Amino acid sequence: MRKSLFFIPFVLFIALAAFLFSGLFSDPRQHGSALVSKPLPAFLLPDLMAPQRMLSADDLKGKVYLLNVWGLWCPTCNAELGFLTELRQQGIEIVGLYYVQPQDSAFGETFDLAALQKDVAKKLAEQGNPYQLNILDEKRSLIFDLGVTGAPETFLIDAQGQIRAHHVGDINPQNWPALAAQYQAVLQEAQAAAALTQQSIGATNAP
Amino acid sequence: MRPKMQLFSRAFARLLLALCLCPAFATTAAEELLPFKDAQQQALYRELTAELRCPKCQNQNIADSNAVVAVDMREKTYQLVQQGQNKEQVIDYMKQRYGDFVHYQPPVQWSTIWLWLAPLLLLAGLFWVMLQKQQKVQQLQQTDAVDPELEQKLQAMIEQAMAEKSSKEPD
Amino acid sequence: MIPEIGQLSLIFAFALSCLLALVPMYGSYSGSVRALLLAKPLAIGLFLFSGTAMACLMYAFYHSDFTVINVASNSSSMLPWYFQLTASFGSHEGSMLLWVTILALWTALVALFSNSLPLLMQGRILGVMGFICVGFIAFSLFMSNPFERSLPFFPVEGRDLNPLLQDFGMIVHPPLLYVGYVGFAVSFAFAIAALIGGKFDSTWARWARPWTLAAWLFLTLGIMLGSWWAYNELGWGGWWFWDPVENASFMPWLVGTALLHSLAVTEKRGTFKSWTVLLAIAAFSLSLMGAFLVRSGVLVSVHSFASDPSRGLYLLAFLLLVVGGSLFLYALRMNAVRSQARYQLFSREVLLWGNNVFLLTATLVVFLGTLYPLFHKELGLGSISIGEPFFNQLFYYLVIPFSLLLGLGPWVRWKQQQLPPLLKPLTLVALLALTLAIGYLAATQSLAANLALLGCLLGAWVGMSAIGEVYQRAQQLGGFSLGFTRLQASHWGMTLAHIGFAVLVVGVAMTKTLSVEKDVRMKIGDTVELNGYHFTLTDVYALNGPNYGGQAAELEVFSNGEKVTHLHAEKRFYPLQKTVMTEAAVHARLSRDLYVALGEELSGPSWAMRVYVKPFVRWIWLGGVLMALGALLALLDKRYRRAPAHVDVKVRETTAAFNGAEHA
Repeated sequence: MRKSLFFIPFVLFIALAAFLFSGLFSDPRQHGSALVSKPLPAFLLPDLMAPQRMLSADDLKGKVYLLNVWGLWCPTCNAELGFLTELRQQGIEIVGLYYVQPQDSAFGETFDLAALQKDVAKKLAEQGNPYQLNILDEKRSLIFDLGVTGAPETFLIDAQGQIRAHHVGDINPQNWPALAAQYQAVLQEAQAAAALTQQSIGATNAP
Repeated sequence: MRPKMQLFSRAFARLLLALCLCPAFATTAAEELLPFKDAQQQALYRELTAELRCPKCQNQNIADSNAVVAVDMREKTYQLVQQGQNKEQVIDYMKQRYGDFVHYQPPVQWSTIWLWLAPLLLLAGLFWVMLQKQQKVQQLQQTDAVDPELEQKLQAMIEQAMAEKSSKEPD
Repeated sequence: MIPEIGQLSLIFAFALSCLLALVPMYGSYSGSVRALLLAKPLAIGLFLFSGTAMACLMYAFYHSDFTVINVASNSSSMLPWYFQLTASFGSHEGSMLLWVTILALWTALVALFSNSLPLLMQGRILGVMGFICVGFIAFSLFMSNPFERSLPFFPVEGRDLNPLLQDFGMIVHPPLLYVGYVGFAVSFAFAIAALIGGKFDSTWARWARPWTLAAWLFLTLGIMLGSWWAYNELGWGGWWFWDPVENASFMPWLVGTALLHSLAVTEKRGTFKSWTVLLAIAAFSLSLMGAFLVRSGVLVSVHSFASDPSRGLYLLAFLLLVVGGSLFLYALRMNAVRSQARYQLFSREVLLWGNNVFLLTATLVVFLGTLYPLFHKELGLGSISIGEPFFNQLFYYLVIPFSLLLGLGPWVRWKQQQLPPLLKPLTLVALLALTLAIGYLAATQSLAANLALLGCLLGAWVGMSAIGEVYQRAQQLGGFSLGFTRLQASHWGMTLAHIGFAVLVVGVAMTKTLSVEKDVRMKIGDTVELNGYHFTLTDVYALNGPNYGGQAAELEVFSNGEKVTHLHAEKRFYPLQKTVMTEAAVHARLSRDLYVALGEELSGPSWAMRVYVKPFVRWIWLGGVLMALGALLALLDKRYRRAPAHVDVKVRETTAAFNGAEHA
């Protein structure tokens, strides 16, 4: 009994070393999102390219899509555009959420929508346009409600408007397969649900 | 009607004050960057911005960071405090968006309870070790030096005390 | 050419460290006196070569040799010469070389000043030190070489030193901190040597004590300087943030403090043996773990170096070998050791145990607070943050009983103490402390702030008790004046360190509760009032530094119509690193600091300004300096300076010991 007591520090240290080892291979900057499996927060924001059209969470319901937070000011986002365009060509639906950086009003900087539209159109023409449409979030209200810390970030939204995944950082060929698997699963779920409602009204709920 | 009156009278008072003070002091008072209704709200705002963590930065609270998220969070905190929300409400609001990560005080739940329990157990355990040791030492000392006379005397005293105690207590 | 000499010196140092790790150890097993005697010259040579390597690196920085990658990415030709020199340890690679040099310095010092030790012990200690050197020099040489060149293509200008590091604090803080960190390697080596030898008499503790004291002294100073530096440089008046890197230095300090006290018990009473050995291992292990945490990138911190998983892997493997190995050895050897000392429940032994219990619990709190988020995440339970509110909460509950105990400790005798003789002086001390704390607060501040009152009470209790105890001891030693001169230096050291702790507690409590601040927008000519001080902004103008631009603000401070001081605050912009730095203006007095930080320019033109009045914040660092001074006094105690035995005598002893062992 007494002898084994002296091994306690050793055993504790080995356990600690195991944690430190696993810690070496995980990014301390990645921290889970609070929004996964919650509905997309309510919002009413203009379409970037047609600002007279206001979009709300309900407008986007009914289909599975990726909500991609981006901005022209963010180099990683611009680098990501090409790969996202490829995904769109594969049939992935992507909605852009345009992140406007704060303006320094003290020095006469103002938000110029026309100039932004022109720049965005130019950039998308150059790099490819992955977006079905772009939501303009000038005051970063939806961005704040989504717990976005920077750009790019991507959310996977299901047909009911629920957030299913929150990816921080760019999407690239290396990390896409993991997200793609989730996307396919959510998509199949949506198709199954749609088929079920079509089949019969009196049928029991899907498990 | 009343609020307007108040506003007017406050402005008037300020004007009077300015007129009175101007010749005395050449300087004007600097205005607060973020005006608050009262000192409590200001203190709450300070406390919150010190305890909320900037989710984008290395390891900084939102008061010390100038990242866009931190600035937005500060602004939101300011709004919420001004609306009269208390500390818990503001923290919950932030947690709903940024998760438990955003608060420098971890929540108390089964997975974090060890943060408090482990130090307590160590403290208790180490003191227990000392008590155990002491008991052993006492035993050793007793076996070392047993004075039969003293032992008898002690025993007698204990018995006497017990007898007295039991006689005083009603049955 | 010079960097190649540095590289070569480092390779020589590596070879020597390998020899140092092997030869004396071989000698200690085979009884070869010649092998044991080699330890000393090997250790000194090791230091000479690693010192040369460090000097070569400094030379490369001083001459802005941008062909060296390390210089190009951490210095620039516009940097003032003193920062060019200190930039040599501003990066991961350079600081690792500094670490190696300091480790070699300690090794050489042990070799030079351990003549009174038996040859066997000396050889084992230096062997262990040599082994640690092997690990770190190999790391520096193979995983993070500071001398690597980028020839044939090299930049014409360097990328400059991180502006945060361009401060006087950078010149002194890292060396002091490292001397402290690495110094625990010596107590560790003593403990391992004792474990290998299997002899645990109190002489071991007596030898290890001054070395531990020295390491603790430097670590205390290093931490205090770091805190003072952050206070001046970060621009928000904070002096401790409970950042993982700060915690990494605080944990060895806490365990080191426990070790100092436990060593006292082992030296004087021959008990707590296995506990003291464990603490000696733990103090250095936590230093090593600190190095791992800072350099591997497992934790997010404001101060950490650029991280690299392969470096982390190496350090973890080394950690596993050194710490895991020593703890295993500990488990194997220590269970046979029993101490037979007798002491009562109310005795100095038990009170010192209490000290250790609280210090260890505090260490566990810091440890969990630092690493629990990692555990939590790795177990898939989600991300949490642990910071100031948590630590403040737990330290609040730990400091109270700890301080009460600390006030009592010095009065209590070894073995057994009767309570009645202590009652009178302790009541006196308690009454004095009460009057002092309440009287002061009632007169100057207010009694409403609970924490301030509590801190002052605890501080006054510890401080008064320390003074009272010295007074009483002096009386016993033959009257007032005579007694004071007769007191041992180590006794004075203890008293001073305890007073330092008291001062620190008062400082922390007062600053935490009574600091006031204002965030204002100021135009030139504006005045802001805070705690009776009127700060007037008189001028703001453009700055033109050697490697930075920015703005400077001039302020006049008045109190009751009288001028208090003139303040000069800066906001610097470093173009090469594209960073903005705040140089706060501080006017320091013992009872309060005035602190002004210049913020960004607003429309108007006006400027955002942060103004603080921080009562007693100086006491925090003053307390730390007093503690370090206490350690210095204790280090000067006569009993650590004994005449060394002549080498011939020791050789004969060693040979005799081995012959005896063969006969037995």
